[in-house]
Amino acid sequence: MPERDPDRLLEPVLRHVLSSAPTMPQSVCVDGETLAAWADGLLDGAQASTVERHVADCARCRALMAALIQTTPDKRATEPLWRRWRLSWVVPVATAATAAALWVTLPGNTPVADQSERSVTAQASSEALPPAAGPESAAAPAELAIPRAAVAPPPSEPPTAKAEQTELESRLPNGRPSAQAPAAPEPQFEKIEPAGRVAEAPAAAPAAADDARGKRAEADTTGTATRSVAGAFARPAAPAVEIASPDGSTRWRIVGGQQVERSTSTTAAWMPVQIEASDGLTIGAAPSSSVCWIVGRRGAVFLTTDGTRFRRLPFPETIDLVSVAATGDRIATITSADGRSWQTTDQGATWARR
Amino acid sequence: MSADAFAAALERSARKAFTAAPDPRALEKYLTSLHLDDLALACACAQGHAGAWEHFVREHRPVLYRAADAIDPTGGARELADSLYGELFGVAERAGERRSLFEYFHGRSSLATWLRAVLAQRHVDRVRTVRRYEPLPEEDDRGAAAPDAVNESRVAAWVQLLRRAVTAAVARLAPRDRLRLGYYYAEDLTLAQIGRALGEHEATVSRNLAKARREIRADVERQLREGEHMSRTQIDECFAAVVDDARTLDVADLLSSTGSRKDSDDRRSKERAEGASA
Repeated sequence: MPERDPDRLLEPVLRHVLSSAPTMPQSVCVDGETLAAWADGLLDGAQASTVERHVADCARCRALMAALIQTTPDKRATEPLWRRWRLSWVVPVATAATAAALWVTLPGNTPVADQSERSVTAQASSEALPPAAGPESAAAPAELAIPRAAVAPPPSEPPTAKAEQTELESRLPNGRPSAQAPAAPEPQFEKIEPAGRVAEAPAAAPAAADDARGKRAEADTTGTATRSVAGAFARPAAPAVEIASPDGSTRWRIVGGQQVERSTSTTAAWMPVQIEASDGLTIGAAPSSSVCWIVGRRGAVFLTTDGTRFRRLPFPETIDLVSVAATGDRIATITSADGRSWQTTDQGATWARR
Repeated sequence: MSADAFAAALERSARKAFTAAPDPRALEKYLTSLHLDDLALACACAQGHAGAWEHFVREHRPVLYRAADAIDPTGGARELADSLYGELFGVAERAGERRSLFEYFHGRSSLATWLRAVLAQRHVDRVRTVRRYEPLPEEDDRGAAAPDAVNESRVAAWVQLLRRAVTAAVARLAPRDRLRLGYYYAEDLTLAQIGRALGEHEATVSRNLAKARREIRADVERQLREGEHMSRTQIDECFAAVVDDARTLDVADLLSSTGSRKDSDDRRSKERAEGASA
């Protein structure tokens, strides 16, 4: 005991007191969205302090926050290796080393070599450092220059922020919604409509897309963040849904809602598999490296037991399926979009409501 | 989704945020701080827009499942994640209208964080419910854990004394220090996780914990010295009694005859849960 840190002597009591402290906060519990906003760092100083004080004294909210924290992905783990601060010094050092090597090896230190090196340095620096706010940032890739609010609106959707804000302002002060609130003005919406079309342009036309992005960014300078609302459904196609076997050796992915590809640890490439899906596939589950269940819209249920050939299984209802959990090639539980669940224990021959 | 529907969603959000009519600048600031694209997606899903629902499932289902696996690696939280889908889609009807869980999302946080918060909320409530119905320990266990009769009353008294002193010392800390200690000692979060949550570096979290422990110890010693008139030697003995065997905390609970039975049962239940999760 004498070797122990004296300040740690009370740890057992401390752990006990903090774990078993009754929930006696001075304020009512905070709702989930406020906790989420606090976790996102979006509350202002006073609000954040109030929430922090409550969570510090409320065992339930503290446990909730702890669970939320445990689900928070570590951003560093998803960042490219060279972006992490501990390794960011590698970029300029490597660049300098390359420059020195070229300086020594190239005959006569030709201007061409010098010029190319400066170009490499500039590129590396722009990667290692955050983009400057000055005129240099104009040279940054177009995607970086587009603010978040520049997501394009759908073809026939919401009004601009100002219209909504005006409407809200007209409603809120007296506390009653106004039935005669002015409708959203069309012209402003039309102003940003071209950006919506451009956002759906195929990736095969990068030049056109870049040009359009520029216009979109330009158009955005006259708008507000509210316009981004409209872009919720005009985003570029989402990445394919991936399904991995428990050991990670085999993965399947749903491409375009109708095709499925497979990749194994031995053949890293994605290879198409046999599946005849006419309805949109949504999600799947793989209980082993050879068994995969995939479900989709209008009661579409597919199963492969060899990893490569999917066959459609009968399903009792023509309803959109949003979830599947499987424990093998015979037992699976499927949830529909309206929250109902079915289970099969015989490879889809029969289904029972749960 | 119609403009009116979205305007109504914005209005609901503003009404939720402001108890009184806000001034225009505050309202503007609030509206521009919202996650509008997420709010639009939630509104469209709540209204039953098939494309929106498909987009939501594709974008957010993996997030929700990863969160469920992080909360409970044994897969227990996956059921909760699945059950959320039904509520999000909105099966329950009230006054002829479909009610969706999405209606509780007002765009103040990102949709992904809100979903994780809802999932965490369900998980915590389920765990707390299970703990409430845990049976009491067998009588034999109590006897086996008890120390010899000579020391038992003295140890129990010291433990109660220390617990009261530590509770008072913790209450005197700043909220952030209490929160940091709670995350570390009660929720078993790592320094890195606490650091991410509080915006501190791991080393800073460690230093702040050490500082809080130092303050608590000094506060406890002062309480024992001034309130209980204990000598240095007695204080050391008191500390040693709980340090030698952390189980004395349980024993003290079991031996304690003060306090209501219910309070004692609740404590025991929580302590057992703590022991099981440790």
